[in-house]
Amino acid sequence: MNVMANLERKLAQDDIKISAREVQVFYGEKHAIKDVNVDILDKTVTAFIGPSGCGKSTFLRCINRMNDTIDAARVEGKIVLDGEDIYDKRVDPVQLRAKVGMVFQKPNPFPKSIYDNVSYGPRIHGLARSRSELDEIVEKSLRGAALWNEVKDRLHEAGTGLSGGQQQRLCIARAVATQPEVLLMDEPCSALDPIATSQVEELIDQLRQDFSVVIVTHSMQQAARVSQKTAFFHLGNLVEYGATDDIFTNPQDPRTESYISGRIG
Amino acid sequence: MTDTTPDLVPAPATPAQNSLLVADARTRRRNAAETRFRAYGIIAIGLAIAALVWLLSTIIADGAGAFRQTYATIPVTLDAAVVDPKGNRDPEEMKKVLTLSYDKLLITGMQDYLAQEGIQIAGLSDQDVKGFLSDQAKANLRDAVLADPALVGEVVTVPALTSSRIDGYFKGRVTAEQAARDSKTSPEQLQLADALHANGALETRFNSDFITNADASETRPEAAGLGVAILGSAYMMLIVLVLALPIGVAASIYLEEFAPKNRLTDLIEVNIANLAAVPSIVYGILGLAAFINFMGLPRSAPIVGGLVLTLMTLPTIIIATRAALKAVPPSIRDAALGVGASRMQTVFHHVLPLAMPGILTGTIIGLAHALGETAPLLLIGMVAFVQDYPDAPPAGLMDPTSALPVQIYNWTRRADPAFFERAAGAIIVLLVFLLIMNLAAIWLRRRFERRW
Repeated sequence: MNVMANLERKLAQDDIKISAREVQVFYGEKHAIKDVNVDILDKTVTAFIGPSGCGKSTFLRCINRMNDTIDAARVEGKIVLDGEDIYDKRVDPVQLRAKVGMVFQKPNPFPKSIYDNVSYGPRIHGLARSRSELDEIVEKSLRGAALWNEVKDRLHEAGTGLSGGQQQRLCIARAVATQPEVLLMDEPCSALDPIATSQVEELIDQLRQDFSVVIVTHSMQQAARVSQKTAFFHLGNLVEYGATDDIFTNPQDPRTESYISGRIG
Repeated sequence: MTDTTPDLVPAPATPAQNSLLVADARTRRRNAAETRFRAYGIIAIGLAIAALVWLLSTIIADGAGAFRQTYATIPVTLDAAVVDPKGNRDPEEMKKVLTLSYDKLLITGMQDYLAQEGIQIAGLSDQDVKGFLSDQAKANLRDAVLADPALVGEVVTVPALTSSRIDGYFKGRVTAEQAARDSKTSPEQLQLADALHANGALETRFNSDFITNADASETRPEAAGLGVAILGSAYMMLIVLVLALPIGVAASIYLEEFAPKNRLTDLIEVNIANLAAVPSIVYGILGLAAFINFMGLPRSAPIVGGLVLTLMTLPTIIIATRAALKAVPPSIRDAALGVGASRMQTVFHHVLPLAMPGILTGTIIGLAHALGETAPLLLIGMVAFVQDYPDAPPAGLMDPTSALPVQIYNWTRRADPAFFERAAGAIIVLLVFLLIMNLAAIWLRRRFERRW
């Protein structure tokens, strides 16, 4: 990726999409996330890196309130999306999740046809008024996920019959189809082979034009390849947050440096 | 050199200590243990299969006879003076003629036939001729005449049921020696049966009445059938299916997908598991107290039986449904929630369809269990002797009926050995129904699984 192009784009990227203040997450007695403050920019790929169990996925799941589905989890603090606190009592998490899409670690297509997988979100949110509009959304989403050419002739076959990389791109298409503003990705490539990984990474870079993308990854190379901003988590703390190039070339915190150079994690 | 294969290092004559060619003592012991374990397994399966084969073969050997029955086809003159004394062929008037009069017609018909064919058996008494046919034969003849008054005055050849002893003689149940000691038959009667059989007037053929007839009194096992019991069981299964499936599935979905996990739900869960283990007769007492004494529902009615069996089946269905829901991978729920489906949409669009095969299998196994249940039905009065068919549902759900397993129980308690044959026959019918239900479970499972 061209560094100059990155810089150019950054100029138009300074609107804050999500800002988190003093976020705490408890799993029962365990304090999993401590005092996280972060501003996530629009039309940017933000990577969360850190050793296993550092809370990066937990924090990601706070952004679309997926932690609500876990009985023992409790979230404190404020996460503001476009000026609105998503943990406000009046917010319906279902509506929030239509706005903040999510792609999971393991490809998890519904055991239905490819078409039904992609059209499910638009259908339940009433995004299409007619069958042809729905067809259009499905095609656009599959094209957006760089899957259209591979599946256009078998839209009505099982989504579970695709290869792992195709399944993950199908899940991305499914998330994109509800026309979200933020796309959360929880280690989207950890179950994929290198070729599928590079396809998904390329896709993430394209998605940046339309969404704010937040990606959790184990691979520092991946973070360096796809993101403009990187946040390093360690033991539930957000240790360092800044431009990806800075984090990898000139880390400020000794913990970041040891993680990047492979001494911890 | 003629031998082109390169020489391998030859195996040493005496293998070294750690040679792979010789199993060491430990390996030998392990292998022996494995062989023994396999042998135990094969023996266990062999015993199970042998027990099953033995059970089925005795039931079929004992019960097959119930599906065949011996009939006498003897011409009977329907004397108008006897059958229709008023002479106006009015069925209402003809109903006043009792079955006893038809008995006389049958006996006369028999004696005329014997005289005509020249069949003479030494020592054959009038009592023997009278007892040759079933008590049911005259009733059947009367029914035929009332159904078609045009028969009056004609000579008809209606197949008449023979007594259970004569029937048993043709099925190998009764021998001449036994007949000599039996007050209900005599060796002469058996000779008469042989003679009529030789004449072609007696035949043993398929007995559809066994499936369609109502139960009959203790003195006429030859006429007893399962019709009312099958209808009663079918009505009860209908009630169980209509009530237990929706209630059970709704309860499971709530407990599994919506209810918070706390002390109360833990308590409910433990209690459901315990209810599944409560002896069925306890449900009978509950049904007696709640549905009959408190709610005042009629005794012997399929509605009460169905409600009791519903209570009994609910824990089974709930446990099976919860297991099926638990088996749906959580990633599917995450996926649905992640695209913004509500919890209810997640359950009804994604989780429930995937759990369907398991739910249906559990339900059908619960139903099959309920179909074979006897004890609770005894307590709510379904053990009564019922000869009238119930009406069609829903009104018929309040009519007294019997049930298949109770009918089997009833018949095994009766003295006449012919009822033993009937009971075994009823077991065959019950097993066929259970088999059909299990096949339905397998079929549904396959069908729903094919739709991923």
